Amino acid sequence: MMRHVGWWFSGVIVLLVATIVLAVMVGTTWIGPHRLLQILSQPASRDFVTVFNLRLPRIISSLICGGSLAVAGALFQAVFRNPIADPSILGISSAADFFKLGGVLLVPWLPGRQWLLALLGGVVALFILTRGRALRDPYRLIIIGVALDATFVGLSRLVSSGQTAQVLPSTFNATTWTDTWTLLILGLLGLLGALLLAPWANHLKLADTALQTIGVPVKLIRWSLLLLGTYLDVSVTAIVGAIPFVGIVVPNLARRLVGHDYQTLLPFSMLAGAWLMLAADTLGRTVIVPSEISAATMMAVIGGPFVIILLQRGRGFHGITTG
Amino acid sequence: MELQQVRFRYPGQATGLAELTGTFPLGKVTTIIGPNGAGKSTLLKLLSRQLQADQGSITLGHKALTSYSAKQLAQQVAVVSQRHELYDDMTVAAVVKMGRLPYHGLFATVSDEEIAAYLEQTQLTDLADEHLQNLSGGQQQRVWLAMALAQEPRVLLLDEPTTYLDVHYQQVLMTQLRRLARQGLTVIQVLHDINQAFAVSDWLWLLRAGKLVATGTPAQLRQAKLLAQAFATPIEIVEVPRLGPYIVQVPATD
Repeated sequence: MMRHVGWWFSGVIVLLVATIVLAVMVGTTWIGPHRLLQILSQPASRDFVTVFNLRLPRIISSLICGGSLAVAGALFQAVFRNPIADPSILGISSAADFFKLGGVLLVPWLPGRQWLLALLGGVVALFILTRGRALRDPYRLIIIGVALDATFVGLSRLVSSGQTAQVLPSTFNATTWTDTWTLLILGLLGLLGALLLAPWANHLKLADTALQTIGVPVKLIRWSLLLLGTYLDVSVTAIVGAIPFVGIVVPNLARRLVGHDYQTLLPFSMLAGAWLMLAADTLGRTVIVPSEISAATMMAVIGGPFVIILLQRGRGFHGITTG
Repeated sequence: MELQQVRFRYPGQATGLAELTGTFPLGKVTTIIGPNGAGKSTLLKLLSRQLQADQGSITLGHKALTSYSAKQLAQQVAVVSQRHELYDDMTVAAVVKMGRLPYHGLFATVSDEEIAAYLEQTQLTDLADEHLQNLSGGQQQRVWLAMALAQEPRVLLLDEPTTYLDVHYQQVLMTQLRRLARQGLTVIQVLHDINQAFAVSDWLWLLRAGKLVATGTPAQLRQAKLLAQAFATPIEIVEVPRLGPYIVQVPATD
């Protein structure tokens, strides 16, 4: 198994590097490897500006966002013990979007309001989601999450009607270096935290009663992982906007490739999520040049059918009860 | 382990335990017997602090159970439940390692060496990397026992541990529990098979409707009238060659 896992890690790293190189070269203007080397000594050239000011921030941002969203999904699945739990379909992302919009309208003077308000929105949605019996009932959780998502999407539309401020489509287009640095700092902190807390996600495979008898602080673990997942998701939503399904597609595929141990699953999901997001964004900005398809649209097109197949086939591990 | 006037009621229900006072002798196998609804599993949950008594006290080594931190208690008391839920795939080794968590910090990783003895004790060494969902009921039960033993507890609580085991594994488990008791472990279990309870136990607790009807050695409690009253059914004790006294339920006559 370990050798097998090593191969998958090698595979995704090779894929990631190849896609990064390709993403630097493709776009409205093709900049080949030879030209890439040339422009390194021509900082005033148009191609240099295209690569360093437009493509690179976009590539780095999509890598961080993909990794963050994939890990956020895996953490939610561990806590809710549900393979399709993900901040994007449970209303966390849309709540973050709504609060972000509220920030633009109500406190435009507040520094860092996008992230702060998005985080507040995510935590509010999380609080609503975890009330009552949703934690113990996987079907109830999803239904409440979908309702929550629809409510916050509706509220955003309601608030923005007649206003200049709108919830913009989630895209990496026009990502600046400032956005990229913000994402890098927020994302890397969260991802490091996730790697540190990976064993806790494994603990939650046992029932709460069993965990209590071995002295594990279940509430502390559950809330730490939930807040970390929320933090990762809203950090992406604050800068780029809500992007669906990365957190469902990636961890579920990763489980089949590298197994169910979160200490392996989280780093693999990080890499695979980064690759998927970059591949989706690169494809989205090259298939209908000079126009482009947003990352959120690309992921909806890829992720929606994946979730349907996942649920209809009913394969994968959904827990056992043993004597 | 000692109970002093322990009373417990489930909220909004009439069932529970009333004024239980008694002792579980250390280093012995004690079995709690009684009809359905007598409060046997509730008592085990009180002993593991999964439930809190409304009144009275439970002490372990002259110290109130409530005064132990969660981690301290996990080092003293381990539980093997009747049913275990696993929400995601785990290997045998990963489950057994969970039993060592009471001895580590929250971020620590348990090594393979640390659990080797418990795997060997439960004959699971060859299955260490096997996934739990691929094991038989008997093998899975051994995994949960190995996890409990990894806690190095003073008291081991088992709720109907033989329910999902065939006759052979029931025998193996009971022999193992007796061996552990000889090594100093206090074993407290709930069993439905009354003859098995009398055969393997050093001490018995007989419950009925939340009350302690009698407590003593199997020889002291092997009384047809006492058992008939407790189980509300006619009972006789017959002598079976090579087996000794055997408790049988006799059909009621008009």
